[in-house]
Amino acid sequence: MELFWLEHKKLWRKKIVKICVLLCFVYCVIFGSILSFQWFGFGSSDDYTSAFGNNFDGYTVIKDSQEYALSFGGELTDETLQKIVSNYQQMEADGMEEELEKTDWQIVNSWLGTLYPELRDTSNYKTMISYVDPDKLTGFYERRQQVLDEFLEVSGQVGAEKEFLHQIERKVEKPFRYEWVEGWSTLLGSMVADLGVVMALFLGIVLSSLFAGEWHDNTSTLVLTTRNGWGKIALAKILTGLAFTVELFALLAVSSVISQLFFMGTAGWNMPIQNIKLIAVAPMNMLQAEIYEYAFVLLGAIGFAGIVMFISAAVKNNVLTLLLSLAVVYGPMMIAEYLPYEMQKALDLIPLVGSSTDIFRTNTFRILGKLIWSPYLLITIPVLIGILCMPFAIKSWSRRMKA
Amino acid sequence: MELSLDRLTKQYGRKIAVDCVSATLKPGVYGLLGANGAGKTTLMRMLCAVLESTSGEVLLDGKEITSMGADYRNVLGYLPQDFGYYPNYTAVEFLMYIAALKGIPKNVAKKRVTELLEVVDLSHVANKKVKTFSGGMKQRVGIAQALLNNPKILILDEPTAGLDPKERVRFRNLLSEYAGDKIVILSTHIVSDIEAIADEVLLMKKGKFVLQGTVPELIHKANGKVWELSVSPQEARQWQTKTTVANLRHEGKEIILRIISDNMPSERAVPCEATLEDLYLFYFSTEEGVK
Repeated sequence: MELFWLEHKKLWRKKIVKICVLLCFVYCVIFGSILSFQWFGFGSSDDYTSAFGNNFDGYTVIKDSQEYALSFGGELTDETLQKIVSNYQQMEADGMEEELEKTDWQIVNSWLGTLYPELRDTSNYKTMISYVDPDKLTGFYERRQQVLDEFLEVSGQVGAEKEFLHQIERKVEKPFRYEWVEGWSTLLGSMVADLGVVMALFLGIVLSSLFAGEWHDNTSTLVLTTRNGWGKIALAKILTGLAFTVELFALLAVSSVISQLFFMGTAGWNMPIQNIKLIAVAPMNMLQAEIYEYAFVLLGAIGFAGIVMFISAAVKNNVLTLLLSLAVVYGPMMIAEYLPYEMQKALDLIPLVGSSTDIFRTNTFRILGKLIWSPYLLITIPVLIGILCMPFAIKSWSRRMKA
Repeated sequence: MELSLDRLTKQYGRKIAVDCVSATLKPGVYGLLGANGAGKTTLMRMLCAVLESTSGEVLLDGKEITSMGADYRNVLGYLPQDFGYYPNYTAVEFLMYIAALKGIPKNVAKKRVTELLEVVDLSHVANKKVKTFSGGMKQRVGIAQALLNNPKILILDEPTAGLDPKERVRFRNLLSEYAGDKIVILSTHIVSDIEAIADEVLLMKKGKFVLQGTVPELIHKANGKVWELSVSPQEARQWQTKTTVANLRHEGKEIILRIISDNMPSERAVPCEATLEDLYLFYFSTEEGVK
């Protein structure tokens, strides 16, 4: 235990570690969460040139939007949708530009585009919500079912796979609960989902020197000739790598959640995720989805840490370790689109390569003839890969040290 | 206590770094003397069980050291030639860290670290970062870490490198005091250090021990091979190209050459008292461009 604390202290003493943690915090929490909520994500539009031209009033806009959405009764029915659309059109006709910002128009527009394609007027430059006839917006849930069926057919998900996905979907409660969706959409669609990609970069920088750094500092011989030897120290290093990963995650996640609670509160936590993406099949509400996404990031980060530590133990050079570690994540991301679909899905199982937003999708894996919904594997396989790498890291380090 | 080297060999591809070396080391200070590339560091790394031998073995009181594992490392202190440190650590923190790696309890380590910093004259900079130290100060931190566990076997690879003359004298005295019933092996090519503290010298060349004995014994072997010759400056240049000249000093218009040679180099040459350095030059004159 003492060795672990010493290794842990040693890691945190490095200037590069402090800089990385600070940058990661600034990027993910200050920019990605706080400023995004208050300024460029939800601030009211001012000069309309870019999101950075928004006013610094996101908090008020969010509160107004939440209040406005609640005025529709909290349940999504044909009548609710018609009311939302007609209210929007009325405000637009009255020139209430500022009031329009508190509506969920982007989300509602995506529903209209998905469920009522025949109402689209390609000659009209305006968004659908501005011109569709509210009275024609009927059969919301029947149309949704039909769109889901068509999507599965087009995706080649037929027979047993289609039935499997329908079984999952049947557990989704209808009618959907409806409150302000836009905030949750941004939160689950990008804020939390992007956390892993950013963490990968900084974890790579910090952990690449965990083992390889002993060669860089020329201390490997010293370590080898001490009573505890390489074995116990390697174990202490592995635990240090894991602890750092959890600490970095906790710092980002806790700060982001505090920021989220401050700006959004808990309103809408029990809405189904189908409000964000209509054809999602997962019977999850927003809170469950958020927990899944954070778990995905944490487990993926632990998996990635295992890989980085293995590379660090096998390669003597810090820079080479970093490049190889980053290639493990960003390489598959770059080449995935050029590969066959099945291979893309397999690459998604590499830690932090896949996306937590798979909970909105209908991807499945067939393993030993059994169908498994992809989010289950995306959350378990990466961490298993990382854990598997850890004994190999110890073994590699011992081989390198003795060489 | 007895450390035995039994036909110890290390081969890197076709190059033999240490060639079937055997010796029995009992408590005392052993000076490993040899030119760069003679195999000293490789030998020391094998003695520390950091490097696996190609063949042969090292035994401590009859037990193979690699099989002793932590028991062997527990009695070992090692200062590597390329001593590394953690740049952001202060001297105290670094020594406390190494003490923990050596399994020394924290309270014992604290006392020992304070003592050793005093011994190596670093108490006044104990809380300064090692990266701010001069080469000599870093080397003294290295010496202190090797002594942390009060090792019975102390292996020091080029311990005096970077030390100024005053520090070297201090180090020699420290080592002489420390040795007692311990086995101390130090390698260097600073002959005067070995001459001052080594009980026995192992002269290494091309991976083999070419000579072994006490300093007087070895010096005795060099007697009759050291000559002084008074020549003109023009002649001095010629002598330097055709013989091993250990020293050259001006005396009026003449130059006095100290020549290492098996035979009397000139009828005018006068035999003189040999030193360990003369012996070193006799064996390594062709190795490092001494001629």
